[in-house]
Amino acid sequence: MPRIFIDGKPYEAKSGQTVMEVARANGVDIPAFCWHPELSIAGNCRVCAVQVEGRSWVEISCNMPVTEDLKVLTDSDIVRDYRKSILQLTTLNHPVDCGICDKSGECSLQDYHYEHNGTPSISRDAKVHSTKFHKLSPRITLDNERCILCTRCVRFTHEVSKSKSLGVVQRGDTSLIRGSEDGAFARDDYSDNVVDLCPVGALLSTAFLYRSRVWYLKPTPSVCPGCARGCAVDLWHRKPEWKLHALEARKNVAIERVTPRENPHGPWICNKGRDYASFVERPRAWQAMSAGTPVATHTAIDAARLLIEGARNPFVLVSSWASNEELAAFRNLLAERFTALVKADRLAQPGEPMEDAFLIRADKNPNTRGALAQFPNEWEIGMALPADCDLVLVWGEGFDLASAPPKARTIVLDAWDKPTHATADVFIPLSIQTERAGTYTNFEGRVTAFEACFPKPDAVVDAESLFASLARSTLPAAAE
Amino acid sequence: MNAPARLLMNFEVTPASHLLAEYQARGGYQAIEKAIRTMTPKQVTDTVTTSGIQGRGGANFSAGRKWGVINLNDGQPHYLCANADEGEPGTFKDRWILENAPHLLLESMLIAAYALQVRHAFIYIRGEFDLPYRRITAALEEAYAAGFYGKPLFGSDFTCDLIVYRGAGSYICGEASGLLTSLEGKRGYPRNRPPRLTVRGLYQKPTVVNNVETLSNLAGIINNGPDAFKATGTKKSPGTRLVSISGHINKPGVYEVEPGRPFREFIFDTCGGVPGGRKVKCIIPGGISTKVVTGEEVDRIRLDNEDLATVGSGMGSGGMVVIAEGTCMVRLLQVLLRFYHHESCGQCTPCREGMGWMHRIIDRIVAGQGVPEDIERLKQISAWNDGNTICGMGDAAGYAALGILAKFGHEFEHYITHKRSLCDGNLECRASS
Repeated sequence: MPRIFIDGKPYEAKSGQTVMEVARANGVDIPAFCWHPELSIAGNCRVCAVQVEGRSWVEISCNMPVTEDLKVLTDSDIVRDYRKSILQLTTLNHPVDCGICDKSGECSLQDYHYEHNGTPSISRDAKVHSTKFHKLSPRITLDNERCILCTRCVRFTHEVSKSKSLGVVQRGDTSLIRGSEDGAFARDDYSDNVVDLCPVGALLSTAFLYRSRVWYLKPTPSVCPGCARGCAVDLWHRKPEWKLHALEARKNVAIERVTPRENPHGPWICNKGRDYASFVERPRAWQAMSAGTPVATHTAIDAARLLIEGARNPFVLVSSWASNEELAAFRNLLAERFTALVKADRLAQPGEPMEDAFLIRADKNPNTRGALAQFPNEWEIGMALPADCDLVLVWGEGFDLASAPPKARTIVLDAWDKPTHATADVFIPLSIQTERAGTYTNFEGRVTAFEACFPKPDAVVDAESLFASLARSTLPAAAE
Repeated sequence: MNAPARLLMNFEVTPASHLLAEYQARGGYQAIEKAIRTMTPKQVTDTVTTSGIQGRGGANFSAGRKWGVINLNDGQPHYLCANADEGEPGTFKDRWILENAPHLLLESMLIAAYALQVRHAFIYIRGEFDLPYRRITAALEEAYAAGFYGKPLFGSDFTCDLIVYRGAGSYICGEASGLLTSLEGKRGYPRNRPPRLTVRGLYQKPTVVNNVETLSNLAGIINNGPDAFKATGTKKSPGTRLVSISGHINKPGVYEVEPGRPFREFIFDTCGGVPGGRKVKCIIPGGISTKVVTGEEVDRIRLDNEDLATVGSGMGSGGMVVIAEGTCMVRLLQVLLRFYHHESCGQCTPCREGMGWMHRIIDRIVAGQGVPEDIERLKQISAWNDGNTICGMGDAAGYAALGILAKFGHEFEHYITHKRSLCDGNLECRASS
């Protein structure tokens, strides 16, 4: 366990670590473009240079192994001068188009420029122009003028996603990041991670391009519901204080983009997770119905209560998209009356990657494990419910009402608008993940919390409070 | 004074002198036999260390010390690679060896492979070399047919295979780690040190990369002993050097020189001086990455590393370019910077951006649009590159620029002020003048 000194302060290091790793682990900020904790060392940006005490030159900290009593300075005169020179060079051909750049506001180059350089370019010569709006894949657009050739994206496709689909072509200051000719980058299910990895605004998400300035957005911690992996993500949506009052008010409740949070497998998510909006931007159900007739929500709840009270052999099909809290509420308040079966709400769509060796799981529901922990029995597609079942409570999607026993009454709780809802005896619209908080348990048993992004619309109910009101109205009846 | 020593160019070049039969008639493939029959690998390395031979590729690092890092008992494969990617402008000495003494290289590589216990050795040859490539592959076929490669040698269990690999013509692949990356089939990017290549080189295994000329000296060192080698040259840089001389010189070509002789004698007596009897304005002594030596300095120093170091230069890779009086140094630097800009691999920031920047500045000066601060800017960018890049190319370009700017700064000032060259601006040397 060597001990090293950074700017005079001692830090414990593990042998085999680099100075950069020790610094980052202890909250010492050494700037870096090409270095990334999850990728191999490239050492090409040179901005992480530090000075070893007693030497008159600088060396890069990302490739400097720790040795006992190594003393490095991160803010000496020559380090400051050197960083300044590197930023002069990095920005030499970098367009000053921050005003229209998607990365603006969260750009490492912008930050470092203001922190370590702050002066205009000393070059008198025109900037070298390069390709703009190069389509690396339908999802990713590349602006080569902004690219600082840190090669994080190249290393990502070689080391993490393993598609080996990006590389550098040409030489010198005409070097370009390009996809392999077989188009493997378009088939890389993790390709969108390069947008987060890019320290500047070179790699852009085509879906997010020019959609919003990032400072109008705020991230809400959430969990990707796309599969049983349950990656922790940030959902970016418009800040309430920047609410749009006219035009495109829809944007106020839109998920503009999704970025990964720190996960045990690293800060990566798959492309399906980036398309979180496709999970939630579907026609919503806003109207409670009783036998196909629109009714007030409380009327529908009363009708549902009557059905539950009158049932002799009711079944519930539990949603694997329900949070642990909702599941617990149901179990505590209503479960003793029901035979509970956990169903898969969502199956893989055509063209959606089924399963791979990295992150994507075959189970396309976020909380199957959490649901099974509380209700051990599963319902599988094609499994017939017993003929004497006289009430089916369908919670969430994934169950065709036509397959319910012919004489059974049906209650459907769902967030989405479907024509089949009208055929249910009672339909009550639910809130969705972005409108409530909760936790999911992923297939490994890891519990991750999500928070509400938007207030719940009045027309829909939270499952937790719905169960409470269903239980409240039934309990006194049972006490009589 | 004794006749100059001849260690490499010690035979008459004839149309058949590169063939195996002639080489063996000259005593070829006896050194490897001597090494295997009478010496342990460690003893070979010790002999090379004792001889004091330095790398001939430009860095002048002791070959024996480089070898000494390899642990023969570490249980992993070791690799040996001859760097025949002779891309330094002005340098064409290895070409002479590859064309005229390919078996000398092949035998010497066997010695090195034996010392380092290498099963597979490589020659990375630059793609532009045509005759050298044909000669070395033909020689290798002869050596395989004669049983020097691919079979256990002289009753020992030492076997070595050799693969000749052609580069695709990149300057940076002459840098040892870039060479190995290219040899692995990847983009020829130099690698970060640490780890050194002798710790993790080709395919992440300990690898020694030596220049062709360095390796070619080994047969002689084993045959004649380290002391005979040390007896030539100077104390610090023993042995002879192949120097390829070109530019404004009457007898351009490859010469074997013994360091320590007066520089002037070499230029004017051996190489016949400058055409038209003009004066020497300056000489690039060892490839364009070494700093220029002015004509006045040439008159007073000896041709060896130590004396060249006193004027801030060195023997480098032995690629000497003579520049006659009347040559415009601004345009000369333009040519050099265009080369560095073109050959920068683009991996690390200072070189990738700096080379292009310097090239654009010098282009602007030559176009008559220079400003006084440009000279300072060129020096500044050179300094930003010095020691701050993954490989030495950024430094080298900086040295070239700094060397010329330090000794011929007034020409740049004149060009910027008057928007035209102080000299006639004609890089060609007219014999009639």
